Amino acid sequence: MARIELTDIQKHFGAFQVLKNVNLTIEDGEFVVMLGQSGCGKTTTLRAIAGLETVSSGTIRIDGREVQDLKAADRDIAFVFQSFSLYPHMTVYENIAFPLRAVGMNQSEREAAVREVARVLGIERLLNRKPSALSGGDMQRVAIGRALVRRPKALLMDEPIGALDAKLREQMRAEIKRLHIARASTSVYVTHDQIEAMSLADRIVVMHGGLLQQVGTPEEVYNRPANLFVAQFVGSPVMNVADVGVENGGLSFGAGAGVAMPAGLIAHLPKNAVKLGIRPEAVRLSHEPGEGMVETETTNLEPLGSHEIVDVRLGGATLRARAEPGFVRGQGQRLWVGLDAERAHFFDGETGMALRRTA
Amino acid sequence: MAEIKTKGEMLFNRGAILAVVVALIIMLTPIYWIAATSFKARNLATTIPPTVVFEPTLAPFAKLFTKRSQLREPVAPEVYEAAPWWEKLIYDGGEQVVRNKKTNEPTSSGFGNRYMNSLIVSIISTFLAVSMGTLTAYGFSRFRVPGEQDWLFFILSTRMLPPVVVAIPMFLMYRAVGLHDTHIGLIILYTAFNLSFAVWIMKGFIDEIPREYEEAALVDGYTRMEAFFKIVLPEALTGIAATAVFCFITAWNEYAFALMMTSKNAQTAPPYIPSQVGSGLSDWTVIASGAFLFLVPVAIFTFLLRNHLLRGMSFGAIRK
Repeated sequence: MARIELTDIQKHFGAFQVLKNVNLTIEDGEFVVMLGQSGCGKTTTLRAIAGLETVSSGTIRIDGREVQDLKAADRDIAFVFQSFSLYPHMTVYENIAFPLRAVGMNQSEREAAVREVARVLGIERLLNRKPSALSGGDMQRVAIGRALVRRPKALLMDEPIGALDAKLREQMRAEIKRLHIARASTSVYVTHDQIEAMSLADRIVVMHGGLLQQVGTPEEVYNRPANLFVAQFVGSPVMNVADVGVENGGLSFGAGAGVAMPAGLIAHLPKNAVKLGIRPEAVRLSHEPGEGMVETETTNLEPLGSHEIVDVRLGGATLRARAEPGFVRGQGQRLWVGLDAERAHFFDGETGMALRRTA
Repeated sequence: MAEIKTKGEMLFNRGAILAVVVALIIMLTPIYWIAATSFKARNLATTIPPTVVFEPTLAPFAKLFTKRSQLREPVAPEVYEAAPWWEKLIYDGGEQVVRNKKTNEPTSSGFGNRYMNSLIVSIISTFLAVSMGTLTAYGFSRFRVPGEQDWLFFILSTRMLPPVVVAIPMFLMYRAVGLHDTHIGLIILYTAFNLSFAVWIMKGFIDEIPREYEEAALVDGYTRMEAFFKIVLPEALTGIAATAVFCFITAWNEYAFALMMTSKNAQTAPPYIPSQVGSGLSDWTVIASGAFLFLVPVAIFTFLLRNHLLRGMSFGAIRK
């Protein structure tokens, strides 16, 4: 197992710069998820670590050894592709044994290693089948088996469960986590699905436009987003963002609507060009007037079974709130809305960077 | 699950079967006629109405491979008795085998050599065109080649001139460099001719093989060369088979260049068979037997590769 260090990685595709100064250290045994939209550079970063993509400049170290100029075969890294990439003309057994044949392992050792990995993944009964006869989940298990069988220094996964249906995805997510805990392999996992990222990662790396936006534990990324992009990318439903004016004792939302805030939370903010970010679960709704509550009415309702998403107007902004099922009867209902001040986030209206209290 | 068919569908199915049967009859009749004629006695080949039921004989094949002359007088019974079976068949037809004056060996008609030439030239040129074409196609498919589109167009453009146009310059060049009437000359010619086709077809097949297969092999510890042989080649087998059949048929059937570029040593079967039509009285059974033997290798080759071919033909029609 290994520690992976990326230093000042740049990558150009022609005139287009895909990676801009990527600096990242992945600790031994850590599960790091790279999260971002398609085209943000997360897959390119992963492929650069694997050696499937060259970098324009910068260094990649695996266990202290510079590998950016080494061939993929010499890096001792395993890769799981979104398409699984099982060799169609080989059986499951041959697929899993394929990396072992590259290192010239003898047949009995090979057989033992393949059987062991197949047992861990629960695919022993499939060893004689061809990949075309497997279900999506089994293909994915075989792909992981092929990656793990030679005990690589690190396991890289590029949206490994993105091609599966929702139910299977959830199940495989749990399996990947279980496997990681059992094997403690250094893992880098690329996804655009923030739920996968939150549930799997020791640390999440949020990427956008070839830049690292934030690197942190799932809690940090969720509760202390570094900027507006991270705030809106992580979390479902999406965090509410509203332009607000900062006044003495509160925030104004335009059209005369304002919400009181403790002075300690907003004293550090500039007077204007501020964006408020607030997650739907931090928007409080009430049928009764109360302290810090503003009267409003609902504009939309999305029942989701376990909870409901209620849209309410607050001055010039529409906020989405999370409510108990049945809390709201429908559109146009009178309600009082308030904000959980402790869970409010503020961002610079121009740069999008988080405005945090320095204290 | 039982399939439920409407009356209309059943009618359509019967119609389709009928159409296939009619098409088969139209296409197979000439082949049958060639095959049948090559087993007929000479006097049955041109009867009117045509002879359909006859006693098959191997006489046309015996004649095909030997040089013969007319018998002036009936052959002596003891000579006839001593002759091997094929020579008896020739005597039966009123002809005798021309024998070497010194060694008394029967003289060959040259068909056997020409048939071998056809096999040598076709097999080697097909192998060369397909292997070089596959490697070239792989390069174009997987690497960034500067001016890729222009190169591919250039490769294809070699097929745009009708071969006849370049025949005379080719003939002069071949004579100048001593490639005229050599196996190697014909092999180079057919390889060059088939290569552009092989590159284009194989590029289509290789483009369809996901790069991830090779990338998986690369991270699994293999070199690109190993990945090519262990992963790409087995996956491209269907394409290779289809391309090989087409290249083989082209080389096997080629007539114009073979006629012009070869005369004796390296001449292939296609220019030889029609040359028999004009020499003296045409023996159609001999010509038919030559044509029949000429059909066999392509039929065998295609039959052996039929599964690959079927997949190759429907290639691109189904999404994997």
